[in-house]
Amino acid sequence: MPEDAALLDDRPGWGIASEWRAPAAAAAGAALIVWIAPLVLGAFAANVLTRSMLYATLAVTVDLLWGFTGILTFGQAAFFGVGAYATAMTMTSIGSTPAWMAAALALAIVVPMVLGLVVGWLSFYPGSTPLYASVISLVFPIVVTQLVYSGGLLTGSSSGLVGYDTLPLELEGFFRLSGIVMIAVTLAAWVFVRSDAGKLLVAVRDNDVRCAYLGISTKRIQIILMVALAGVAGFTGFIFAHASGVVAPENTGFLFGTQLVIWVALGGRGSLIGSVCAAVAIDYLSASLSGDLPFLWQLVLGAAFVIIIIFLPDGIAGLARTASLAISGSLRQTRVSRVTVAVPRTAADRRATLLKVSGLARSFGSLSVLENINLEIRPGELVSIVGPNGAGKTTLIRCLSDGSEPFKGVVEIAGQSIRGLTPDSVVALGVGRKFQVASIFESLTVAECLRLARTTSETPSGIGSAPILSLPVASVEILRLTGLIDLTGSPAGLLSHGMKQALELAMVLALEPRLILLDEPTAGLTNTERATIGAVLRHLTEEAGYAIILVEHDLDFVREISSRIVVLHQGRLVLDGAVDDVVNSEMVRTIYSGGGHV
Amino acid sequence: MLLLLDILTTAAILFVVSVGLLAIFGVLKIINFAHGAWLTIGAYCAVVAVKMGLNPWAGLPIAFVVGALLGGIAELLIIRPLYRRPLDAILATWGLGIVIGQLITLEFGRDVQLIPNLMSGTIRVLSVDYSVYRLFVLLAALVIGALFALTIEGTRLGLAARAVIMNETLARSLGIDTDRVRLVIFMIGAGLAALAGVLLTPLTSVDPNMGVAWLIGAFMLVMVADTSYLALAAACIVFGGVQVLVSTFVSPVLGGISIAVLAALVLRINSRGFSRA
Repeated sequence: MPEDAALLDDRPGWGIASEWRAPAAAAAGAALIVWIAPLVLGAFAANVLTRSMLYATLAVTVDLLWGFTGILTFGQAAFFGVGAYATAMTMTSIGSTPAWMAAALALAIVVPMVLGLVVGWLSFYPGSTPLYASVISLVFPIVVTQLVYSGGLLTGSSSGLVGYDTLPLELEGFFRLSGIVMIAVTLAAWVFVRSDAGKLLVAVRDNDVRCAYLGISTKRIQIILMVALAGVAGFTGFIFAHASGVVAPENTGFLFGTQLVIWVALGGRGSLIGSVCAAVAIDYLSASLSGDLPFLWQLVLGAAFVIIIIFLPDGIAGLARTASLAISGSLRQTRVSRVTVAVPRTAADRRATLLKVSGLARSFGSLSVLENINLEIRPGELVSIVGPNGAGKTTLIRCLSDGSEPFKGVVEIAGQSIRGLTPDSVVALGVGRKFQVASIFESLTVAECLRLARTTSETPSGIGSAPILSLPVASVEILRLTGLIDLTGSPAGLLSHGMKQALELAMVLALEPRLILLDEPTAGLTNTERATIGAVLRHLTEEAGYAIILVEHDLDFVREISSRIVVLHQGRLVLDGAVDDVVNSEMVRTIYSGGGHV
Repeated sequence: MLLLLDILTTAAILFVVSVGLLAIFGVLKIINFAHGAWLTIGAYCAVVAVKMGLNPWAGLPIAFVVGALLGGIAELLIIRPLYRRPLDAILATWGLGIVIGQLITLEFGRDVQLIPNLMSGTIRVLSVDYSVYRLFVLLAALVIGALFALTIEGTRLGLAARAVIMNETLARSLGIDTDRVRLVIFMIGAGLAALAGVLLTPLTSVDPNMGVAWLIGAFMLVMVADTSYLALAAACIVFGGVQVLVSTFVSPVLGGISIAVLAALVLRINSRGFSRA
């Protein structure tokens, strides 16, 4: 490995400070406006806008869940309502001394978070679908609303709670408080989604399977996000209960939840600022216009919503982005991290068996795809699996990397059975898997994709982007050989087919796995690229002591780089031996010339 | 006996209300959140029919035709561009529901509409007096279910629809005009929703937002039933039964949410719901 690999890219990494300057200035400006505005506005406008800004805060949480992470949720309304009711109920039924006020604040945050944990547990589990999460988010506010209705005096039933003591802030004070909360939450969200940890949200939305096979538990991220944002919504509900002096069942309901989604859709999902502006503008206009044209206004809003969803999925903010792009003619400048070589993990013990498969069988209904597979692989081996289409190669790879597959028999990685383990836990045992069709994060840059692959070894920052991206030597080598090293700032979705394959391989190698599963890693690559990748793979096994299982069709390529070849035919392992023995065997010729059923 | 009749008729009402949604979800894989609006459209068709001096029963065929025609327009304009974005389709159809609700409000006002009952009185079943109309709905559910089954199992359209449900790409490559199958199925689903709207008129108040109350229950039942109408029938009986029992013996409020909660739990345990049974 060449020494200069350490400094491949000398573009400077940008520090956190300069990144924060523009949004901090904007937030300060907005805060100033919020401070002055109540002096100018009339009582009606100030009242309505206080509410609108709290709703806008909720819209930010919906945008984080839906726009960034892809979880379409109607549930934020219920967390907000629970926070508001927790506050009003404490004030009404217990007392409003400062101590109880503080208790109400704590309850308004903690109770929604606990409920968020329950909702999150129900919504996200291995194999759950986005639609199912939306279903739960729909049921949750309905349940909360019904409980409020049946709460009798405690919740005020259908008339809600009113006339409890509130914080001693006048209209002005509540306006400013709501405004500051809105600005603070928006700014925090803005900083977070641009940080390394924030990229995890987009990664989960783009490709949750790839996340799992990078050792990232998508379920955990989704639940943590849901719990945190439930807390934010509850806090917003606390302020709302004080500012408005009344809480009603509508504040918890599913209809309010759909309203939040409509605002975010109109403003632009994934834009934060667009969602905030849309929420404030539409809620304020709704309040102002509802006297004159109540039904017409709702009609226009509904129609605009349908049209935006169909034709402008990115909302008004997306339109603005496209327009500004057309005018300035350039993409926003992307920060490029400097790539360095990471300190390698300790070398693997070469003698122990790394992978042990015994009696593995997998069937789909009555169709038996794999039968009685026995296989052992030690560190330093490069074992190729060959066989015609439909022989069960990809199914075998899946059984080795996903313990939740209902296979029979035993698969052990370094002595530990993977049965029941989800892919992210199998990855933690030291397995990396590259898919047949390149599986990357289309809307992130090359550097961001690679950084995500390092999530398990380096906890990503939640407030900024690290200026240095340290990768294992093998990853850097792949980047160099394919020229990807010069494209670290490009969106991965725009790469060529071959480049995507190389990027995925570099991501898998960035995990520093002990056992690497490669499903046709060189498909779609040129002969030169193929040869260089072959050299890297050989180096990984022979020098660095990794083990590789390679699924490949190209027998010449296999012959060049393998240390052992396994032949799979009709779900059975029919040959397992040294390269020349297998390649020259009668059986391989028969199978590949389309003949024999063995 | 009363309880048994309540359970059966409740299940029948649920089936009638959700079968149109099931047809659309099964073939198009899209949740039609405007389903509630189509129930409302159907009910207002009955209102208009009565205002025009027609027999209230005339509302049934009128609602089916109007519902299907409007459904066809909605499919072409709104659903078709969103096939590849199912979550967005939920939102767009929800928006469509808002638009329809407001249009109806602009035309008819927000007030509850009164229309003569299709049938009134009670009949003695074994030992109890029971509403004739609820028993009629039970019959209607059986008829609709039977016609639905005949269409799915016995016609070319049903065959094509089943092919699309199983493997759309393959169906298209075999020369089935999948776009047309979707259009026709969406029209049938919308027509059935409007028909259900008419059948609901004696059971619930008719106002521009009447559909929303039924939407969630229907939606949850369809999620549990996946694509099978038999599973839907089973789900209606089981969940309808639980709803009646909880409402009777525990509290009507808990009864109201029992379908949604149970369905969510069933899906959490087994994501294919009742369709595997």
